[in-house]
Amino acid sequence: MNEAGNAVAEQAKVEEKKDRGEKIDFKMVTFVLAGKEYGIDIMNVKEIAHAGRFTYVPNAAPFVRGVYNLRGEIISIIDLRTMFHLPAERKDEGALENLLILQIHDQVFGIIVDQIDKVVGINRSSIQPPHPIFGDINVKYIRGIVENLSKLYIILDVEKIFMPKAKEEKEDAYHHAVPARAAANPSVPTHVAPPDAADDDLELGFIREALAALRNFATSAINETWFRRRFDEWKVIRSGRDLQLKEGGEADLYLEGFFSPYTGELWGQEYIEAFESILPAIEGASINVWNPGCGKGFETWSVACALKRKYPNGRIKIWANDSDLLNISMAPNMVFSFDTPPEYYAEFMVQGRNGWSFRQDIRDAIFFEFHDVLNTNSVPPSDLIVCRDMLSFLNPLDQKRVVLDFAEKLKKNGVAVVGANERLDLEGWEPAGTGIITAYAKA
Amino acid sequence: MRVEYINPFVESAFNVLKEVLQGDIKRGELYLKSTSMPVMGVAALVGLAGDVEGRVLFDMEKVSALKIASAMNGEQLTVMDELVKATITELANMITAQAVTKLHELGFRFDLTPPAIFTGDNMEVSDQDVEALIVPMETPQGKIEINVAIRERG
Repeated sequence: MNEAGNAVAEQAKVEEKKDRGEKIDFKMVTFVLAGKEYGIDIMNVKEIAHAGRFTYVPNAAPFVRGVYNLRGEIISIIDLRTMFHLPAERKDEGALENLLILQIHDQVFGIIVDQIDKVVGINRSSIQPPHPIFGDINVKYIRGIVENLSKLYIILDVEKIFMPKAKEEKEDAYHHAVPARAAANPSVPTHVAPPDAADDDLELGFIREALAALRNFATSAINETWFRRRFDEWKVIRSGRDLQLKEGGEADLYLEGFFSPYTGELWGQEYIEAFESILPAIEGASINVWNPGCGKGFETWSVACALKRKYPNGRIKIWANDSDLLNISMAPNMVFSFDTPPEYYAEFMVQGRNGWSFRQDIRDAIFFEFHDVLNTNSVPPSDLIVCRDMLSFLNPLDQKRVVLDFAEKLKKNGVAVVGANERLDLEGWEPAGTGIITAYAKA
Repeated sequence: MRVEYINPFVESAFNVLKEVLQGDIKRGELYLKSTSMPVMGVAALVGLAGDVEGRVLFDMEKVSALKIASAMNGEQLTVMDELVKATITELANMITAQAVTKLHELGFRFDLTPPAIFTGDNMEVSDQDVEALIVPMETPQGKIEINVAIRERG
């Protein structure tokens, strides 16, 4: 018996250690409902309270216990146990209940639980998706299960429970195509007969998986329009043959045409002029630019020249980074072997022994960094973000994170340029591009 | 981390180790890391200041530290005494100083802080918000991981 006890204690220690080793990026308030442990994202919890004597509201849903005056604010009180059909202990009239006051977007309300436990910090990646056979609470309201110190916590998705609409819309924006949405998508040709559509969805699903597995290309709202258009082209290209991508070469073929103009070379005249035209008017003397996923650096040099032309007196600083060491190592010392530089770049280049390279003041404007955009980005607030075709190669969750980081780093009147076939049609962004340049500003 | 900083560190680590250990030194694949990580047992830390802010951490197992110190001093050292610690500190200093000299020639100005050495079991570094470049080096005496985190001053 004692031994077993020790083993558990040791296990707990090991667990704790493991947990400490991982980064804590998710905290939840834990509580008990009918003897089971649950958690709610701490970001949704405004405070913890004990209260009773709720004012009964006639004709409300059975799980609404009434309303309560929380320091002058009238909030609804929901009994989570009744809501989930769990046994609830009936307390005496006037006894105090354990309340979690939640805030979701701008709505505040209270939920009654059996017992409030503590705050537990975990790593987001340790949350496991709920298993569909879970009983008690409808699975779609469960965000996941997590183990902490040998206890299992069911994490409730309160946004989904209490704000069903808002959450679903948000999920859709990123999530893989949902058939209902696909039908509404204007890029899907209307001439496809319904029976085909079901097959297409299946084929599309497999292609998505193949692209992710073979080339790390993640389909999401960011590139969905292109992906579907390409699928129609793909059907023509394969003309009746198997549509599936079985190896890297086929995936490359599918992705052909996805990449923005002038990937891996200096930007052409018409492209760079279009780029210059969308640059924001900047008042300050210094112009900060963030160029994640700059690859071999052609993009960065092109951007630097365009900026120099647009803001001749500005102090330009470009933070260009890529997580491919080989590519980024070549970027700072780029030498070109052409006889005469292209017209647009001529004034910014000098001829050396080995060929043409960029002028010192252009070089001084760029910091090429070996950096992974998924790690902490320590770039200053930026007037311009140029990130072409990089987001699509991150998994959808990371895409979300990076786009949020863009929103945080971009100055108020700044502009974010994304790949030609990428769209940031997400909440908080509005188009700011023209023709061949796809750009967005903060709404 | 700026691309220009990478080579000076890799080269000076390679050169210094080759010189003081007189053996076959191999460099592993470079990579980036930004999570807290365990320290193998002996860690020498050199701070950087100047145009940038950052630090270089030399991480190795105790056995390797003893072997390296033995090789550098030309005598068999078996306990983690002052001499061993001073030797490892000196090694960290030599590598960082040579890298900083190379960087100086390229026009980057860095200052060094005096190195510090940490020894113990089950240690962990957690400056999670700092992205570090890991340069793994294989020496006949064991593995040394050089963990470089440098950031431009904003």
